[in-house]
Amino acid sequence: MAIKKFAFIVKSLPYKTEASRLALTHAIASQTVEIYLEDGDNVEPVLAFIGDGVLNCLRNQTAMNTYGVTSLEQHIKNSLLLDLKVLICKEDVEKFGISEDALIMDAEDIGGETRANIVAFSEIMKEMDSSHHLLFF
Amino acid sequence: MGELSSTTPTETLDVLGRVCPYPLVLAKKAVEKLPSGGVLKILCDAPASAEDSIPRYCEKNGFKLESVRLEDKGYWELYIQKP
Repeated sequence: MAIKKFAFIVKSLPYKTEASRLALTHAIASQTVEIYLEDGDNVEPVLAFIGDGVLNCLRNQTAMNTYGVTSLEQHIKNSLLLDLKVLICKEDVEKFGISEDALIMDAEDIGGETRANIVAFSEIMKEMDSSHHLLFF
Repeated sequence: MGELSSTTPTETLDVLGRVCPYPLVLAKKAVEKLPSGGVLKILCDAPASAEDSIPRYCEKNGFKLESVRLEDKGYWELYIQKP
């Protein structure tokens, strides 16, 4: 009986690569693996955006118009809808000069109750240190 | 018509058009909010979720499940009762 913590660390730019989309899909899908595990076993995901990866969290993405693909904004909102822990690196947000208003911080429009958190990189490091598995995208 | 499908559901979850893993994870979230004895009705057109993952989830957690496949509409109505 054990809970395995997985940290999905997104450091890639949002489009022209599948990396961040894969991170989001895997983090969301990790919520279903309990049906294949022994009683009491489960997976606890944390999703963190660092470096260039914080640009995945910008609001008002127009991916369908620009690239003809579904928006990562919706995937991030789905993560919040499913109560995943979503962390955005404060130092990198500041480096890009992005205000909190420009970031996807909640999914209230689709019924989500959990909010994303802008945290210092040291907090993300703590999450990584306490994770059983680190996956970089 | 089964026992659960003939009752008025406590909540209805429409996941039509959603593919795996969303039907299951949204169902899990909805079941968590159900009161004891409550019935969740799910409208689902994803075969893998309707025929595999959601039934497996119910079996693992001891939830009563009734599945009604509506051939003409192309989706399933799943009824889950929380103990």
